[in-house]
Amino acid sequence: MIDRRSGPSGPPESPDTPATVADTIDGVVPRAIVEPASGEEVAAVLAEASRTKTTVVVRGGGSKMGWGRPPSSIGVLLSTKRLDRLVAHEHHDLTATVQAGARIDLVNAQLAHHGQWLPIESAFDAATIGGAIATNDSGPLRHRYGTPRDLLIGIRLALPDGRLIKSGGNVVKNVAGYDLGKLISGSFGSLAAIVSATFKLVPLPAASSTMTARFDDVNGMTRALEALGRSQLEPAACDVHVRLGNDVPSRESCRLVLKFESTPKALNAHLEATRALMGGARVEAVDDTARDTIWRPHLRSLWAAPGVMVKAGWLPASLGRVVAFMEEARIEGADVELQGRAVVGSGLLRVDGDLATKLRVIDRMRARTDLFRHVVVLRAGADVKQKVDVWGSLGDAAGVAAAVKRALDEQGILNAGRGPV
Amino acid sequence: MKTVDDRFLAELRGICARPGEVLTEPIELLTYECDGLPHLHQRPAVVVLPSSAEQVQAVVRLCHRHQVPFVARGHGSGLSGGALPIAGGVVIALARLNRVLEVDIPNRRVTVEPGVTNLEITRQVAPHGFYYAPDPSSQQVCSIGGNVAENSGGAHCLKYGFTVHHVLGVEAVLPNGDLVRLDSAIADAPGPDLLGLLIGSEGTLAVVTKVIVKILRRPESVQTLLAAYDSISAAGKAVSDIIAAGIIPAAVEIMDSLSIEAVEAAVHPNFPPADSILIVELDGPTAEVREQFEEVERICRHVGATTVEVAQDEAHRARIWKGRKGAFASMGRVTPNYYVQDGVVPRTKLPEVLARIRDLEARCGLRIGNVFHAGDGNLHPLICYDEKIPGQSDLAAKVGGEILQYCIDAGGSITGEHGVGADKAEYMPRMFSDDDLDVMQLVRRAFDPQGICNPGKVFPTPRLCGEVPGPYHAHPLEQAGLGERF
Repeated sequence: MIDRRSGPSGPPESPDTPATVADTIDGVVPRAIVEPASGEEVAAVLAEASRTKTTVVVRGGGSKMGWGRPPSSIGVLLSTKRLDRLVAHEHHDLTATVQAGARIDLVNAQLAHHGQWLPIESAFDAATIGGAIATNDSGPLRHRYGTPRDLLIGIRLALPDGRLIKSGGNVVKNVAGYDLGKLISGSFGSLAAIVSATFKLVPLPAASSTMTARFDDVNGMTRALEALGRSQLEPAACDVHVRLGNDVPSRESCRLVLKFESTPKALNAHLEATRALMGGARVEAVDDTARDTIWRPHLRSLWAAPGVMVKAGWLPASLGRVVAFMEEARIEGADVELQGRAVVGSGLLRVDGDLATKLRVIDRMRARTDLFRHVVVLRAGADVKQKVDVWGSLGDAAGVAAAVKRALDEQGILNAGRGPV
Repeated sequence: MKTVDDRFLAELRGICARPGEVLTEPIELLTYECDGLPHLHQRPAVVVLPSSAEQVQAVVRLCHRHQVPFVARGHGSGLSGGALPIAGGVVIALARLNRVLEVDIPNRRVTVEPGVTNLEITRQVAPHGFYYAPDPSSQQVCSIGGNVAENSGGAHCLKYGFTVHHVLGVEAVLPNGDLVRLDSAIADAPGPDLLGLLIGSEGTLAVVTKVIVKILRRPESVQTLLAAYDSISAAGKAVSDIIAAGIIPAAVEIMDSLSIEAVEAAVHPNFPPADSILIVELDGPTAEVREQFEEVERICRHVGATTVEVAQDEAHRARIWKGRKGAFASMGRVTPNYYVQDGVVPRTKLPEVLARIRDLEARCGLRIGNVFHAGDGNLHPLICYDEKIPGQSDLAAKVGGEILQYCIDAGGSITGEHGVGADKAEYMPRMFSDDDLDVMQLVRRAFDPQGICNPGKVFPTPRLCGEVPGPYHAHPLEQAGLGERF
């Protein structure tokens, strides 16, 4: 174990391995960094931290460390960097066990040797398996495959009291005992540290194509979505992209991006049938079986642009009203961009403008309970985070979530107040 | 924990005041002594039949105030004793919370009370071209509340997943009487996935009073075939080859000769004579299904099918499924009693585990039928015995336990869809360490510090004197001639 601590409350021991700017979280420099190489070592670090009441933040690839409330101080940054192995790929059983610190893209490169993959996407190259579970972050293929929690069949956790435990197992069907993998999904490292996880996998599709349909207005787009919903077509992804700003021509404002995965012969039939439902949209289809030229850029483009990033949910049939809300925000001076899962009713809204504008849009989203729920600010500067609680209300779940937190993390050491619990 | 007393009963009658809402007479309690695993039975002190979430909440509050244990019950079709009453405790029967509250086709959501049956959801949305995907064999009678408690699957869960993949939110009463909503019709509630934890927690964390599910568009095309084989390993090889070809069928089922014999006697599906039968179903867009189905048919023949029968129409398909779904109920034609197990193994371990089961069958002298969800390795060994022959009940239980051990040895699980309940709680330490179980208990106590919400289930406790795990026994209603199994 590389242990760069001198003690839970002291400065880093080794001057040549101090925490750097890259280690800061919302401007807070961790007092120590630990890089355990096994589950037992992770558990030992947590046990020690509990004993000394030292706050611990778990870091995977570090791609989402800006998400969450600003910490007041961080005792130990526990990096899963050295827990980066694909432990087992049981390809005949379509399952794989992966350590928490393994990068999603590198894991998938290995799984591809047997024509399989773990359909978890991220906008960030550095994103790890543990980070994907902790944030339950997902991409457009959620439409078909769900979020990480839906693919998870077993998990190994290190608890703050130093115990190393498991839940679930290696088989795709299993209802023995509590599903702690679900509990940990979305917990943002607030309940336990993820050591490794077992997933069900899916075969790589024999063929896939992406169709992009550009609409002149939102009505054309929602009509096309309704037509798609009435059809028996089964896209693997059904994403909506809306950008409204003074520099965006209205003809370019609304897009549907659809992915189809199928057999080579059937794929063309799906594309033709879909094209017929897109009304007057300008439609392009690209074969992306061999190489993804659309989806990674699609995912990254939103994060590459400036502004706060707000995650929210809505009823799928309310999409037209979501866009109307965006129109109002644009009129008031915000540059707004939506990338979402049209059929799930979930997405990211990027809001740019001056501080007052950003705060106003967030407040209004939270006030519009008839339209939005679960409005969470993912990326924001210190100026915004000082003014709003990034998580918002957990609603009725808050009490139980707090009780579970107290049960598993008695000393309250995990995540330095950054998480939802 | 305490037991029901007169004061408690008086208060309970104040909450549920209409005639027939509070049952205390032994004859009335008979139905509620057990669920679909009748050898485990216990008379509760009282059964209450609330008609609203508010009444459920008031009842649970009362139990909490008096520290009286309670067990929520759906339609009693569970197969693990999950709804087994507690002596001196309360059964909260949710059969009267059976309203479909909202059918929202544009958003593909349906909101129901827990006593609505699984199949009723599909009935509600079928005219619009939709269905509810989880399809346990008991779907005509089982309640959606029970499905949530057990995280029910079904034959089609290989492709479509379990209840946890189809429930968007619940309203539930916590053991302290708080009424909470966990998640909602709108996706992405932040924080730990408490809903995912609750689903499959076997009624030990809360009593669900409302369930929001998502519905799916009926697939454009469904194609089903039946292939007959001389050996179960050949049928298993066909399954492996289908999956290796990158095809995920909607369902893959295998039945062995004993189960074929039973269903032929009972429901006459006209299966061809065979050692084993494989049923494969594909669904999805027509063009895709057509192409993949040709490949499935080719694989089935290639590995040595003696017959391949492709369902030519919906009636033919229904006949094949009638044979499969009627397997448990048909066992009565070949054995006076049977005990069904629910272990899971990694699919690649199926031949090895099935061979061990066949060895065990030869050694123990009891016939063992095998019906299983081959795609996901979920075995349903049916251990045949005659309770009138001294020692056979105990032997069947022992054999069941040994099969579960084979599943654990193979890296599998003691239960794929029936739940641990009271039946398999004693096997949990074979799968989980003390620390694993203790941490699960910590979570349980966070919900239920008093330990009054369905105690004695999931986690091991010492068995009652003379209590034997496992086999089928006649339900008290069957014994009394008041009901029959189907």
